[in-house]
Amino acid sequence: MSAVWHPPADLVRRYTAGRLDPVQVMSVEAHVARCARCRAAVPYEEEWLAAAWERIEDVVDRPRPGPGTRLLVRAGVPEHTARLLTATPSLTRAWLVAVTAVLAFAVVAARATSGDPDVLLAFLVTAPVLPVAGIALAYGRSVDPAYELHAATPMAGARLFLLRAVSVLSVALGMTGAATLLLPGPLGLSAAWLLPALTLGLALLALSGRLPPLLAGALLTTGWFAAVLLCDGALHDRFLPFHPASQPLYGGAVLALLVLVRLRHRRLTLGERR
Amino acid sequence: MNATVEIRALTKRFGRNTVLDRADLSIGPGVTGLLGPNGAGKTTLLRCLATTLAPDGGRITALGLDPARREQRTALRRRLGYLPQDPGFYPRFTVFELLDYVAILKELTDRARRHREVRRVLEETDLAGRAHAKVRTLSGGMRQRLALAQALLADPELLVLDEPTVGLDPEQRMRFRALVSRLGEDRTVLLSTHQTEDVAALCDHVVVMSGGGVVFDGTPRGLAGVAAGKVWICDEPPTGAVLRWRTAEGRHRVVGERPAGAAPAEPAIEDGYLLLLGARAEAVA
Repeated sequence: MSAVWHPPADLVRRYTAGRLDPVQVMSVEAHVARCARCRAAVPYEEEWLAAAWERIEDVVDRPRPGPGTRLLVRAGVPEHTARLLTATPSLTRAWLVAVTAVLAFAVVAARATSGDPDVLLAFLVTAPVLPVAGIALAYGRSVDPAYELHAATPMAGARLFLLRAVSVLSVALGMTGAATLLLPGPLGLSAAWLLPALTLGLALLALSGRLPPLLAGALLTTGWFAAVLLCDGALHDRFLPFHPASQPLYGGAVLALLVLVRLRHRRLTLGERR
Repeated sequence: MNATVEIRALTKRFGRNTVLDRADLSIGPGVTGLLGPNGAGKTTLLRCLATTLAPDGGRITALGLDPARREQRTALRRRLGYLPQDPGFYPRFTVFELLDYVAILKELTDRARRHREVRRVLEETDLAGRAHAKVRTLSGGMRQRLALAQALLADPELLVLDEPTVGLDPEQRMRFRALVSRLGEDRTVLLSTHQTEDVAALCDHVVVMSGGGVVFDGTPRGLAGVAAGKVWICDEPPTGAVLRWRTAEGRHRVVGERPAGAAPAEPAIEDGYLLLLGARAEAVA
């Protein structure tokens, strides 16, 4: 029969005080892990231990954030806001693929035709609609499968819609901006979609206090295409909406709409009437 | 009764269809069951109370707050848990991610506290083992437990549960009853159901809706009492009875007028409910 060794009280005392060398620490811990009597003799703070276990559990258990969330957090966006931004329903793979495909087609076609004005016009007309479509699909009972689930939370309504709109607008403008740099021809003309896009995006936000975003988006898109056709048909100038002289008008509209959205943002009671 | 929810003359129309027709209701702490046939207006009433649908008329006061006012609506949402009848999910999320997302929407911004809360509701609903499963891989019963779990986040004072036991197997239903019964000890729970046995097991207050209005408001015992002296057991199927069915023992249970040779039976909640709706159906006819 072999004698059972237990660490003497002095050794345990020095262990809890953190005054043992690593070899002795391993020896004590190896024994304490197997011996309930000695374990009971080692004093510990219950709250500290529970908190420590919780921290460990959280590290093991918490979901790994996606690349979008990690990027935003690195850029200084709070973690919870980053989670909300990247969970925007219209920022799905399908929407991103569709936007990429449209932009890639425009760039390839423009380069293949060495800057054909018709291809450039198609790009300029389509580009402002991309963020509008994304925002219109970002919030509402008909486009969000979990709408009913989160509509009863304090973040529902204007706060969540505006967050999602910012998210979609940023991604769409970023992608379209990158495509613009790849287009042949003068950058000033290729980038003439930017202010119309901002005008339409802000107009959608302003209208969303009165109309469902999807309907508001459809009306604005139809109105935009009608305006372009009108310039071509009645005024015989297809590029009129993108002339340098038109840009200050968009700029003024953007400023006015920004003020309007700022004043009315609390009144966006989206979807609750339906 | 010390009412935590007061509903007065609540009206909601969808086009020409009046779904809620000046409904009145008072609910106190504890578990209240909402019974009624399809189209009675239960879900619409719960959605109005859960602030996801604005009524066309009438007034709601919940936890002393008026959801018609924007600031008070947000304040109410901070103290509310809602399980919708048809909860949709983002299928690409895992169970943990979805609960984490809803917890953020409930303004739990501190990550450690939020994750602690997510783990708590996962344990409460017996979903801890499925925390990292994609939502799209869950069975119907698990999805229903997930919907209940999100309603429990942030420890709400008012729980609005629309048909919470749909899709649960008998064991899960028992666990659900134990959970809701415990929750009802210190808060207000309003649940709609088609299961009269859930009401009998859980509720100290029962409301029956029909045609957009409240047709009964009382205790489960009171609802059963509606059928007192009108429930019978007989050996032969009676002719002309409005409500009757064959029991497991091969006899016939009849609700209504006494058939010849029938013996009286103890009324249950289901009998009172059927009689109430049958009587209204006859009155309408």
